[in-house]
Amino acid sequence: MTTIKLWKFFAREDLYECYQCARCTGSCPAMEVAPAFGPRETILKCLNVGHEKVVQDERIWLCCTCNVCEDRCPQKIPISDLLVALRNSAARRGNIPGRLVMAIELLAKTGRSMIVHQLDEMRAHHGLAPLPPAPVEEIRAILEKTGLREVVEF
Amino acid sequence: MKEKAEIREQLQAPDSRDLRIGVYVCHCGKNIGGTVDCVKVAEHARDLPGVVLAKDSLYTCSEPGQEQIKADIKEQKLNRVVVASCTPRLHEPTFRAACEAAGLNPYLLEMANIREHCSWVHLHDKEAATEKAKDLVSMAVSRAARLAPQVELTVPVTRKAMVIGGGVAGIQAALDMADAGYHVYLVERSGSIGGRMAQLDKTFPTMDCSICILAPKMSEVGRHPNIELLTLSEVKSVSGYIGNFNVEVLKKARYVSKECTSCGDCIQVCPQLAPDEFNAGLSIRHAIYIPFAQAVPSTFLIDMGQCLNNQGIVACDRCFQACSHKCIDFSQRDQIIEIEVGTIVVATGVDVYDPTALTELGYGKFPNVITTLEFERLINAGGPSSGELIRPSDRRRPSKVAFLQCIGSRSKRSNPYCSNVCCMNTIKDALLIREHWPETEIYVFYIDIRAFGKGFEDLFRRARREGVIFIRGIPGEIIEDINTGDVTLLGENTLLGEQYRYSMDMVILSVGIKPRRDSEDIQRLLNLSTDTDGFYMEAHPKLRPVDTTTGGVFLAGAAEGPKDIKDSVTQASAAASRANILMSRGEVRVPALTSRIDPDKCTACGLCARVCPYHAIQGSKEQGYYRVIEAACQGCGACVPECRFEAIDQTHFTEAQIVSQIDSVLANDPHEKIVAFACNWCSYAGADFAGVSRLQYPHNVRIIRTMCSARVSPAWIERALLKGVGAVLVSGCHPADCHYNNANQNTARRVERFWKRMERIGINKDRLRLAWVSAAEGAQFARVIEEMEAGLQKLSPRQISQDAEKLRKSLVKKSETT
Repeated sequence: MTTIKLWKFFAREDLYECYQCARCTGSCPAMEVAPAFGPRETILKCLNVGHEKVVQDERIWLCCTCNVCEDRCPQKIPISDLLVALRNSAARRGNIPGRLVMAIELLAKTGRSMIVHQLDEMRAHHGLAPLPPAPVEEIRAILEKTGLREVVEF
Repeated sequence: MKEKAEIREQLQAPDSRDLRIGVYVCHCGKNIGGTVDCVKVAEHARDLPGVVLAKDSLYTCSEPGQEQIKADIKEQKLNRVVVASCTPRLHEPTFRAACEAAGLNPYLLEMANIREHCSWVHLHDKEAATEKAKDLVSMAVSRAARLAPQVELTVPVTRKAMVIGGGVAGIQAALDMADAGYHVYLVERSGSIGGRMAQLDKTFPTMDCSICILAPKMSEVGRHPNIELLTLSEVKSVSGYIGNFNVEVLKKARYVSKECTSCGDCIQVCPQLAPDEFNAGLSIRHAIYIPFAQAVPSTFLIDMGQCLNNQGIVACDRCFQACSHKCIDFSQRDQIIEIEVGTIVVATGVDVYDPTALTELGYGKFPNVITTLEFERLINAGGPSSGELIRPSDRRRPSKVAFLQCIGSRSKRSNPYCSNVCCMNTIKDALLIREHWPETEIYVFYIDIRAFGKGFEDLFRRARREGVIFIRGIPGEIIEDINTGDVTLLGENTLLGEQYRYSMDMVILSVGIKPRRDSEDIQRLLNLSTDTDGFYMEAHPKLRPVDTTTGGVFLAGAAEGPKDIKDSVTQASAAASRANILMSRGEVRVPALTSRIDPDKCTACGLCARVCPYHAIQGSKEQGYYRVIEAACQGCGACVPECRFEAIDQTHFTEAQIVSQIDSVLANDPHEKIVAFACNWCSYAGADFAGVSRLQYPHNVRIIRTMCSARVSPAWIERALLKGVGAVLVSGCHPADCHYNNANQNTARRVERFWKRMERIGINKDRLRLAWVSAAEGAQFARVIEEMEAGLQKLSPRQISQDAEKLRKSLVKKSETT
């Protein structure tokens, strides 16, 4: 697997704008429900111990990319971009939750990330037509084009 | 055909046999010497025409350095001196004084800026920096050869001063000047002097009562025989120059005469109510009111926006009837007062940040979230709750109080700078709560506590010892319980690495301070510069901290940057002292930079008079010529390029001098070079700032200084293009920031016209760039040069010479048709 430099996805200099006010973590909904790895700490670790360590931590996958941290950031640091870049980098190094891999495989195979058998019944109950078949080939093509195959086999 | 400038140059070509130029190349320790090979630069200078000696020295500005210049002037009979060192904005006065002391006219000095414009911006390319320094010295030598001695005009200084703003800084400055014996006009916009300090409850770090220490000073202003207090007044126009300003002040009607004893009978009967500005809107006042108990002047006023008798119709006269002294006068009208002053002190103060925009904090939505200024009024005995600590929602005393620091400060979402006073203000407020209501729990949420001043750390320690809890981490969210009005803070304690959730009775947002929303008005009236944060800029950040670039105008207080009371007072005394120096001397020399018209060449077309921003050019067709009124001319040079008959020239920035600089730059490898014209006040200073900030940019730029960008003649651009220059930059102050009354409108007009001409002829327009760069925009200057260099990289020398050929042909065609 090829490794891609994290700093190609995120301007490293933006991190130096952070003075650790913690407004980001204070507003983080993921932190409310799980002892996650808050945005403030993520930035500090990138700066102080290096992103190499950060991308090994599975807690980075707890972010729900709601972007509230970025909205609150007084320094306008694109925190969501950083978290996405970190996860890109982590996935390429093999740090990706198994359930996520399964979902990707399913998406590539069926065009859907989860199979809910009751769905058609529910739709029928509400008088809706069954879902049309997903354009699997098109979805696969998109997944390939994004380079996902370099990370997950599907 | 011959170009204008060439003809003129031949007329004025100096005889190099008469020239005795001395060149001094300064190492400035390692500042220049560490990058530029100063010995080689001096060697290079030695071979330049007219140069009789060239020396390098470690510090030319030092006493021995200056003595050397003086000795050489006398012994070697030097008649021109070139110093290659730092920016002329720094040491030109030093070296001019040295020349004068040795009997050489100070205008025969020329400086080459090889520090800010060379060594500091090309730190990593020593060879290129040395080559550039040689070029800069060559330019300076060729300009020096064309310098002429000048006599400076002496103008009298009116021994009167105006202070704009009646806060503590304005009060101090006015008192200091008045005590020195000068008449002072103190212009205050609101109904009373006192400013922000009057609104505060206590002051840090001594915990003095704010109004108790301010009120005596306010009354001193009120009764001082040398101070004329103009309240409800605003400066409307300023004309003139150092020592001789004519100011128009709009004095709004008060509708209450001076005989008012402030008995308060009128407010008992006034039916109209409005939010009380002094109490930060936490209480109400009547349409007739006095701003606060200690107000100076102690005279009521009527807010015509609220009074029923608006627009001259008397619908209600209850106050008139109630007033036993008959002080109410509805016939008063706004008036314009004209005053003449020699010096001006600007002490316009600051606004506080409005945190409404930070919606996550709920200010304006949750009644128990207030600002520090509101809190100051709340716990002040003269405030809306008579000093009782209550929270707005239910007027109950809060038992848990939180302070949030850095609200609106240190943020790209609001003000990027530290507001300087909020940390200590919060600590003071926390201690006040502790003192009066010791059972209250107090939490301070902070990022960094900046307790940098005398006595500050002590106060911080005291707050910690007295149980104020400091938590590092600003809440990301505030939630209100609508039933109780309590607020919950959500955040992270960064030092513990733990999430927190605190329920509080009241939250106080420690809001920052920012420039007055209309600070631009005064900026334009007085031709001041502002820094990137919007505060007025000092002439030099270290050594002229209260001067401005406008002669005779000084800064005091927070208008120059966030400041506490002590610093404001210190700066006010400094500003007053600077103004006192001017007034006690009684006269001032103005630089000899005026324009002059040759009456023999003048055809009285009047074009120059039309562009003069100061109406300093007078004459008529009947008279047959126009002439420059020297005392009124400010030396921008905007008129010179306007003249089609070469009848005008500017002293010390003559056509011949600048053309010689252009020619010198383009003597070798012209296609690789960028000629940058920069105005003295903004763009040249901006380039200096790039140097001071050590911003690195391409080394092929050569900066030529003019006083105003409007001095830049299209003929210079034409000449540079004909000589095959790579690119030309014309840079000046931002529109409306021009130091010469918008003279730079002419710059824009002329450059646009030149672009059209380039388009017509088929020359790449990108080779001429117009950029507005302020003195604070070093980074912008560096960026412009980088972009121009990138554009230049795309051009081949062949294309450049083809362009020059096209221009030449078009000129030939033009001369044939005319």
